[in-house]
Amino acid sequence: MMTQVTKRNANAFLKEEYQDLVSKNLEWNIRTLESGSKPHSIVDGKEVIMLCSNNYLNLSNHPRLIKGAIDAAKKYGAGSGSVRAIAGTMKIHREVEKRLATFKRTESSLIYQTGFAANSGLIPQLVGEADIVISDELNHGSIIDGVRLTKAQRAVYKHRDMGELEKVLIDADKKYRRILIISDGVFSMDGDIAPMDKIVKLANQYGAMTYVDDAHGEGVIGEDGRGIGAHFHIEGKIDVEMGTFSKAFGCVGGLIAGSQDLVNFAYNKSRTWLLSGSHPPAVSGAQLAAIDVLETEPEHVKRLWDNTVYFKKELNSMGFNTGNSETPITPVIVGESSKAKELSNSLFKEGVYALPIVFPMVARDKARIRTMINAGLTKKDLDFALGKFETLGKQLSII
Amino acid sequence: MIKIGFIINPIAGMGGRVGLKGTDGVVDKAISLGAIPVAPQKALGMLKEFHSSYSNQDNVHWYTCEGSMGDDALTAAKITNKTIIYTPSHTSTSAHDTREAGKKFLESQIDLLVFCGGDGTARDLFSVLDKKIPLLGIPAGVKMHSSVFGITTSATAKMLHEFIKGRLTIGDTEIMDLDEDLYRKGEWKVRLFGVVKGIVEPTYIQVGKESFESVSDDAVKEELADHIHDEMEKNKEVLYLFGSGGTIDFIAKKLGFDHTLLGIDAIYQNQLVGKDLNESQILDLLNKHKKAKVLLSPIGAQGFILGRGNLQLSPRVIKKIGLDNILIVATPSKLSHTSILRVDTGDRKVDALFMKREFYMVLIGYRLSRVVKIQTNNF
Repeated sequence: MMTQVTKRNANAFLKEEYQDLVSKNLEWNIRTLESGSKPHSIVDGKEVIMLCSNNYLNLSNHPRLIKGAIDAAKKYGAGSGSVRAIAGTMKIHREVEKRLATFKRTESSLIYQTGFAANSGLIPQLVGEADIVISDELNHGSIIDGVRLTKAQRAVYKHRDMGELEKVLIDADKKYRRILIISDGVFSMDGDIAPMDKIVKLANQYGAMTYVDDAHGEGVIGEDGRGIGAHFHIEGKIDVEMGTFSKAFGCVGGLIAGSQDLVNFAYNKSRTWLLSGSHPPAVSGAQLAAIDVLETEPEHVKRLWDNTVYFKKELNSMGFNTGNSETPITPVIVGESSKAKELSNSLFKEGVYALPIVFPMVARDKARIRTMINAGLTKKDLDFALGKFETLGKQLSII
Repeated sequence: MIKIGFIINPIAGMGGRVGLKGTDGVVDKAISLGAIPVAPQKALGMLKEFHSSYSNQDNVHWYTCEGSMGDDALTAAKITNKTIIYTPSHTSTSAHDTREAGKKFLESQIDLLVFCGGDGTARDLFSVLDKKIPLLGIPAGVKMHSSVFGITTSATAKMLHEFIKGRLTIGDTEIMDLDEDLYRKGEWKVRLFGVVKGIVEPTYIQVGKESFESVSDDAVKEELADHIHDEMEKNKEVLYLFGSGGTIDFIAKKLGFDHTLLGIDAIYQNQLVGKDLNESQILDLLNKHKKAKVLLSPIGAQGFILGRGNLQLSPRVIKKIGLDNILIVATPSKLSHTSILRVDTGDRKVDALFMKREFYMVLIGYRLSRVVKIQTNNF
């Protein structure tokens, strides 16, 4: 006979917590792409201008990347068979790391499974109980999670405020063994750039290590899209340049670039790297091709910036506030959260896909539509999107 | 339905323009010097702004007092969904009326009491309500050191709106006022009278990619308590002085100490070794213990860590402890209210040491701190 267990309902919270999110309008309603992630994508059966992908250079559709993936799969198979440390390191993984270091102009590099795996795997190894992590207040969630896994003290400074950073350093210098400064390179909500040249200078002065998450800078800023090191002409001077292949590089995978000492340390200590399977060869093939394309086809980065400059200029001349953006991440600040959601919904109906960013991700009166510009958009596409912004902006009394 | 209480102290703020430090007990003198009422106008300004900018009173019911203590202003602002719960016996109202009305508000079980007045009015209400009903002040008094006030009448209107919408939360806030005993001896010193519930900005933590959860003030204070616990475990040789105010009181109680909310206590090796200490008792303890640290938190509307509500921590005490041994804790919601720490030790030389230091790392969570600028009272 079955015994009745009445101790507790072990699974009840799943439904309850989900329903709580739904009641607060906080659950994700995930839209589905029925095409590749392209400047014109089919989303939930509807053709839209894509303004919220991170595929800045449109490399995810580049024939060389697709061919790179196919060729690698044919040569090495669909999977890698193991974690990197045991039997999952293939020649092609090594080749990506070598090529990437050359591209980033650093001594060495290491590929992680994802950007999140890089941050959450490496950061907890760099600092311990006697140490401190100093963070920009607007850093990305994956950094915050990485920092949460450490036993170090944490200090935050006001967004991009070097005066405050120096004050934290003065205090930290007296109290801690190691000091680690972490910042996003390009901030994903506002599209502004961390003053890494100044951060590196301060770090050297106080004996701190520097770590930049360049996820939105790689392939976008610096000469030929080499990232934030190249942008400030300080290649090799940032101790850890962390990034991702999932955005401008058009495929997937996290990365760090820096000294050989860093790489030796990182692959021996990062639990995420050690305990998850390595990339399938097709991913590595696409990564290699992405580096090839960036090194030999400068037109993609140029087009991205031409599009960005045009789009921003037109938005501003219509009277939209695009904040402090210095990159293709172009916020269109509309004010109240409800207005941003309304504008985003209306844009989608009109064939423009751009997400609202609302309080508390941004200040109560600074809710926005975040647009991400793509090198593959034509002037006609941009004008179409701009036209919709203008009409709806007027309808909603934003401009 | 949200139940909002509304009370005006009609004579609040009258002393200001005629050079009196408040209207407590000197109304007749103020009037004879030519003072005119200011509170009713400010209260009306807040109500009108609330009514016109945020016309959402459908789910609000007002509870108020007759005549100049509330109803006149509500009527003038065209607010009709109201109940009168107190009628003063004379036309000239006093602190007695404020307290009696406070009792009626308690009986009506309102969600929030909006009052118009100054520190004296806040104290009168506190004496009856304690922590039972949260307060929101429309600033109209001569003295406004308490942190229950909106910065302006229109800021108060906005806070009320955000509270009704559920976007602001309830947290601890301090009632401060002039110390009359010292004032009669010619000293202008503000002291901490108590901690009440007020309206504060919640602290948010990211839970999903783009979703956040607000964290209660008490949850943040628990984190701070955990941090202080670790700190004290690591430094067994250090004498810890616990300052006054709601945040430190919460931490001390969480660590198991019978703390004095308005005073200074001493803890050594997990034992309470001094309670509600005065200056000379603190100095005696500092002579006995080589290493000491003092735990402070900003209090009042201006964010003072020294010089308001903790005069026992005299310049001599502070010099002996050393500026590097001051630990400051604050909830992020408190810092969003006062982004600067203020110091007024009464000794210019000691104040100058703080000025030279420029900033403190303020603990805002477990192992989490941020830079906050420091300012002395010479501003």
